[in-house]
Amino acid sequence: MSAHWRHRPEGGGLFALWLIRTIALRCGRPVARVVLYPVTLYFFLRRRPERRSSRQFLQRVLGRPATLREVFRHLHAFAAITLDRVFMLARGERGFAVQVEGLERLHEALDEGRGAVLIGSHHGSFEALRMLSQRYPQVPLRVVLNKQQTPAMTALLEALAPDIGERVIDGAQDPASVVLALGEAVREGHMVALLADRGRPDEAMLKVPFFGEPAPFPLGPWLLAVSLRVPVVLCFGLYLGGNRYKLVFESFADTAMLPRRGRREAVQAYVQAYAARLEALARAYPYNWFNFYDFWHDTPRVAGTDAGAGVGDDVGARA
Amino acid sequence: MSKQTEAEHELAQLIVENLNLEDVEAAEMDPEAPLFGGDLGLDSIDALEIALAVSKHYGFQLRSDNPDNKQIFASLRALSAHIEQHRPNA
Repeated sequence: MSAHWRHRPEGGGLFALWLIRTIALRCGRPVARVVLYPVTLYFFLRRRPERRSSRQFLQRVLGRPATLREVFRHLHAFAAITLDRVFMLARGERGFAVQVEGLERLHEALDEGRGAVLIGSHHGSFEALRMLSQRYPQVPLRVVLNKQQTPAMTALLEALAPDIGERVIDGAQDPASVVLALGEAVREGHMVALLADRGRPDEAMLKVPFFGEPAPFPLGPWLLAVSLRVPVVLCFGLYLGGNRYKLVFESFADTAMLPRRGRREAVQAYVQAYAARLEALARAYPYNWFNFYDFWHDTPRVAGTDAGAGVGDDVGARA
Repeated sequence: MSKQTEAEHELAQLIVENLNLEDVEAAEMDPEAPLFGGDLGLDSIDALEIALAVSKHYGFQLRSDNPDNKQIFASLRALSAHIEQHRPNA
């Protein structure tokens, strides 16, 4: 049994992030991109669990064993978007070629002024979606980040993009406060971003078909979306290689339309429909799949091992 | 189970009605039992519905920035005490 992904080191820790930030911002993206190759090679050689999960995932998508070259390409894509986060946070869209698809869906949702939930994933770059929010400074994008669990990421955010850092809702607070903060954000018309592919060890999960085999997906984001009574928009920040990104928005549901009594069924249907969309995108862009653990079998652990999990660590009792 | 006060009973009824708790009788809610993650089948996401109902019924907001939220949402008794202390005088 591999270690739960939460117990994997946070992307190399503070030092690696400092290093990558210093090289990136001092020397520029072309130089940093060259440095990525030895960095990827290091991960390729030293991080066996990530390598293995990459190989397993690619095999599922390709329908044949993945070559070492393909696994390397996968890890390299991850290293590349990790590096690009630094540039996106520091400089926004500058230097990137960003296509946007389905933006009108997001507009429709936001024009009503009652906020929206953006459902993202660890497929592609969520940071790329933040670039979009720089085009719409009037509609703040709010994310939940556990400041205790991801100190490196938090420090990076606060150093490079203090305005984004201020809008982070700290998932280390008690769960009721996190949930109330999300409710307040939506009432002010903000966009709230939730990642809906990974569950925490103590979170209620639902197994639904994913690449032909049931995989556990968290219920929390959907229960929350239902309670917030807002339009729900799926979003994917796809990395296309080089400096090219594609942001995709798809309208998904409006939870305000939901009768109170049919919620349990609705939430299950949401999870299934979401898994189907995620599968379609992961099939089309397999090298954007950045869940480097056994997504199908890595069973969440018992509550209590993971302090301060944030939103909905005990959710789904009724679902 | 310790006895509900009048205020606690009123709040229990509000919660049962607003959260559509079909298997729970307001009068049988243990005021000292955990509100979330216990037998009631509530979880932290229900804090949203509770906050909404409380604001409509009692005319005051439960806020995310209250450092005591963990304690406030610990039980029916704690929540009721907080409401009684802070609700505008009717």
